[in-house]
Amino acid sequence: MVDLAIQLPPHSPEFGGLLGQRIAIGSSFEAHILIAGLVSGASQLGPITEWVGYMRRRPEYDRLAHGIARFLVYYFSIGAAIAILVITALLTGLWGSVWAIINRVGFWPFFIEAWTFFLMVVGSYLWYYTWDLLRDYKGLHMAFGGLLAVASFVQVMMIDVIASYMLTPSQPNNPLRVFLNPTEYPLQIHRTVANLAYMGFAVAAFAGFRYLRSKDAAKRAFFDWAGSYGMIWGIGMTLMQPIVGYSYAKEIQLHAYGAWYKMMQGTLSSEFLGQIFLLGLMFLAGSYYFWRRLHASNAPNQGLLGLLTVLLAVTTVFATLPAHLAFTYNQVLASGKDRPFWEGGWVNPFAAMIPYKVGALIAYSVFAIAGLYWYLRGQREVVWGTARAVEQWVLIASVFMVAAMIVLMGFIRENSRYPDVIAGQVQLSHQQVLSQQLISPVTGLSGTLPPPP
Amino acid sequence: MSENRRRLTDPVTSDSQVRVRSLRGLSRIAYAWLDERTGIRSMVRKGLYEAVPRRGAWAYTLGSATLLLIVNQLITGIFLTMIYVPSTTEGWESLNWIRGHDEFASIVRGMHLWGAYVLLFVLGLHMVRTFFSGSYKRPRETNWLSGVVLFVLVLGLSITGAMLPWDQAAYWTAVVVTNIPSYTPIIGIYLRTLWRGGEFAGPITLLRTYGIHIWILPALLFAFIGIHLYLLRKHAEFGSYVNYRGFFRTLHPRPVIPPAEQPALSEPVPPGQRELEPPYPGVPTDDEWAAPLETDDFYPDQTFKDAVVSLICIAIVFAFGIGIGAPLEAAATQNTTTYTPVPEWFYLPLDQLLVLAPKQLISLALWVPLFGLLLLVILPFVDRGRERNPFERPAVMIVGGLIVLFMLVLTALGSGRLFNL
Ligand code: HEM
Ligand code: HEM
Repeated sequence: MVDLAIQLPPHSPEFGGLLGQRIAIGSSFEAHILIAGLVSGASQLGPITEWVGYMRRRPEYDRLAHGIARFLVYYFSIGAAIAILVITALLTGLWGSVWAIINRVGFWPFFIEAWTFFLMVVGSYLWYYTWDLLRDYKGLHMAFGGLLAVASFVQVMMIDVIASYMLTPSQPNNPLRVFLNPTEYPLQIHRTVANLAYMGFAVAAFAGFRYLRSKDAAKRAFFDWAGSYGMIWGIGMTLMQPIVGYSYAKEIQLHAYGAWYKMMQGTLSSEFLGQIFLLGLMFLAGSYYFWRRLHASNAPNQGLLGLLTVLLAVTTVFATLPAHLAFTYNQVLASGKDRPFWEGGWVNPFAAMIPYKVGALIAYSVFAIAGLYWYLRGQREVVWGTARAVEQWVLIASVFMVAAMIVLMGFIRENSRYPDVIAGQVQLSHQQVLSQQLISPVTGLSGTLPPPP
Repeated sequence: MSENRRRLTDPVTSDSQVRVRSLRGLSRIAYAWLDERTGIRSMVRKGLYEAVPRRGAWAYTLGSATLLLIVNQLITGIFLTMIYVPSTTEGWESLNWIRGHDEFASIVRGMHLWGAYVLLFVLGLHMVRTFFSGSYKRPRETNWLSGVVLFVLVLGLSITGAMLPWDQAAYWTAVVVTNIPSYTPIIGIYLRTLWRGGEFAGPITLLRTYGIHIWILPALLFAFIGIHLYLLRKHAEFGSYVNYRGFFRTLHPRPVIPPAEQPALSEPVPPGQRELEPPYPGVPTDDEWAAPLETDDFYPDQTFKDAVVSLICIAIVFAFGIGIGAPLEAAATQNTTTYTPVPEWFYLPLDQLLVLAPKQLISLALWVPLFGLLLLVILPFVDRGRERNPFERPAVMIVGGLIVLFMLVLTALGSGRLFNL
């Protein structure tokens, strides 16, 4: 037998070294998440929209849901294609050995994940293509939508098992513990809510764009309404995030302190500040939209929403105040400027996490929920099709804010545990060692890996 | 209902018509005798004859199921008083003794505990259903308010009950819960001392909690159930919007898509039509007193459904009471350091909030449930529109739905601790 090793290329492609590899893989993953997040959100928001329309007997919901279904059918394959590119070409090619470990730990989640793709494809095609056929059998049609929603939920859940495990690993050889690792359900809730919000904002932005371009009164009425509907979802879901995100951060603090420290106080703290800022900006955009939209129809509660918009603006500025005038707290200590700014130091006590940042997060949610309530009450008087351009631009801008937020969060999460791939267990640098030894002992993980299935 | 079906309340024309040959005949005579002296027939008639809305009737069984589960608590609770000793030295012993010695008491205890759990769950469903159906609207605001009081009382019974076994879990519950009144402004510390009977949780605390659990709260509970049911009878069951045509449903003043463009949905929007008249009880002086389109008789139609759901609940309680029973941890000692208290599941949302809250904000987190209670109380006075269809009340439904979702999320986030994950 020929010795295969002699004929193999000596090593996998360099790709400009570790940094190049990280950029390639990181940016493809960000692109993937931007599309996949929308697809998951659409698979849930679409069926819900159809159902609400059915219960309210209002055709515009049905029309919107149908549009969402069309989007889904077109974009699902793109999201999936990027995933395949990342996994088969980049991950397996560049970091094959490390990836193999992740696969061995997460065999079952990956296995179920694969089948959810099948269900998603079946669900979305059935749902989209039987729309008119099953118009008289709405119950059955909505059941297809339900299948789709469940499939996408499970799909997100399985990949969350992997993602959360990499940050807060539990016992790798116990599948149940892998599933229920400490940040699994915080992440799952966080992502499900986020995907719904993201899709809501996307609907809003698309509707805003179409509204601006339509001349026809009926179309304008529809897109005006759809923009408002999307914004309600976007804000309604996002306002859950401060508490969900906070719980998530808390679990990270308890189970992966290093990563948490890096996010909150270390080199990633300024990115985290960016996140709080973007969150505030999103609520601000929502509240501003609600206010102007009511104003355009001279509907009740405008004044209250105007007030909330001002309050949210102030809160956002306050929440974004940096805690110190240096990149990291260690630099502050090193320069001996560990004093409040009014004593000539670099520290700003009003930006302390507790109580100020936490207080600001609570204020975001409270203002947003009040805004939603007043908007929904005032909305009854709104005449659709009479919105002005400003509001539509706010709708369009908001989806970019969300996208920026998602990219930023992906960046923070993946970098918080760098250089570990599985926090505390596997590092990227092991790739070299591992590929020579073909997966044999790795720090800490050796005895505990599950046997190959 | 078919006409020739015999009813319990059918009049017997005269005693002599029935011969004392069968047991049935005898009971009819006895019934007639009793009726002549007490008027029981008209009482039963009043109790059982009542029109109830037909559509969605299964959802309206939850109230009765709650009631039956409370009766279960009463019966099992009374039995427990015959074996349980409310003392820090003998309370735990008395419950520990029944394990392996008294099979009946073990089952009763299991049923009391699981009864409380199922009760809280079903009660939650009952609340959610009356919330969604807008049953709290005029004239039923007081039904809702008395319900809120009942809710608080049941929560109080559950938490005071949890202190009684005086094992580790009970002891820590007692320490934490009796401390909560101390957050009241000004008189807080006195309230705590009053409940604890001293500075620390001890023998008097247990005795007082016992008194509260078996006397004060049940007395209030049954009084308020009386009010709740009286009000129910006064206004009759509202049910849900599906029983009404037009009036409680908005006919959309401004369709988003002009009618010509609308693709036909399978069911057309029903024409606006008002139904105001009796037989539905109440005073038909005002629009809100609408009558449902179709009704059933309370007896036997609704009572049958009520019985099915209630029996399922009791069967579940029985199964868990026997199968799992009520746990008893080691007896309470103040000086353990290894013990991690596990919260009661129904307090998980609050517990998770406390876990999340940084130390400086803990007292703030305690205001959250009070604020929630306030929202429950003001709900019928804030949401006063006549619309009953949950899909047409977006402001209240979405905000209420978000709050429910929020509690579920907190429960999910905290659930890991129940199993010490
Ligand atoms: C101890 C607990 C309770 C008992 C035994 C109880 C019992 C009942 C019963 C038997 C009914 C009629 C049947 C039904 O609609 O399900 C009812 C109706 C109602 N309950 Fe309760 N309930 C309790 C707690 C509550 C709570 C906590 C609330 C709300 C906060 C509430 C609000 C209402 C309302 C608004 C109705 C009227 C429903 C309608 O007319 O459509 N109840 N209750
Ligand atoms: C809605 C009504 C009630 C609820 C929700 C409730 C709930 C509870 C709970 C959760 C326990 C703790 C069980 C354990 O951990 O083992 C308990 C214990 C107890 N309850 Fe109740 N209870 C109710 C009514 C009553 C009534 C009416 C009585 C007496 C007349 C009673 C007497 C007792 C006694 C003696 C105990 C201590 C025995 C034990 O812990 O097993 N309860 N209750």
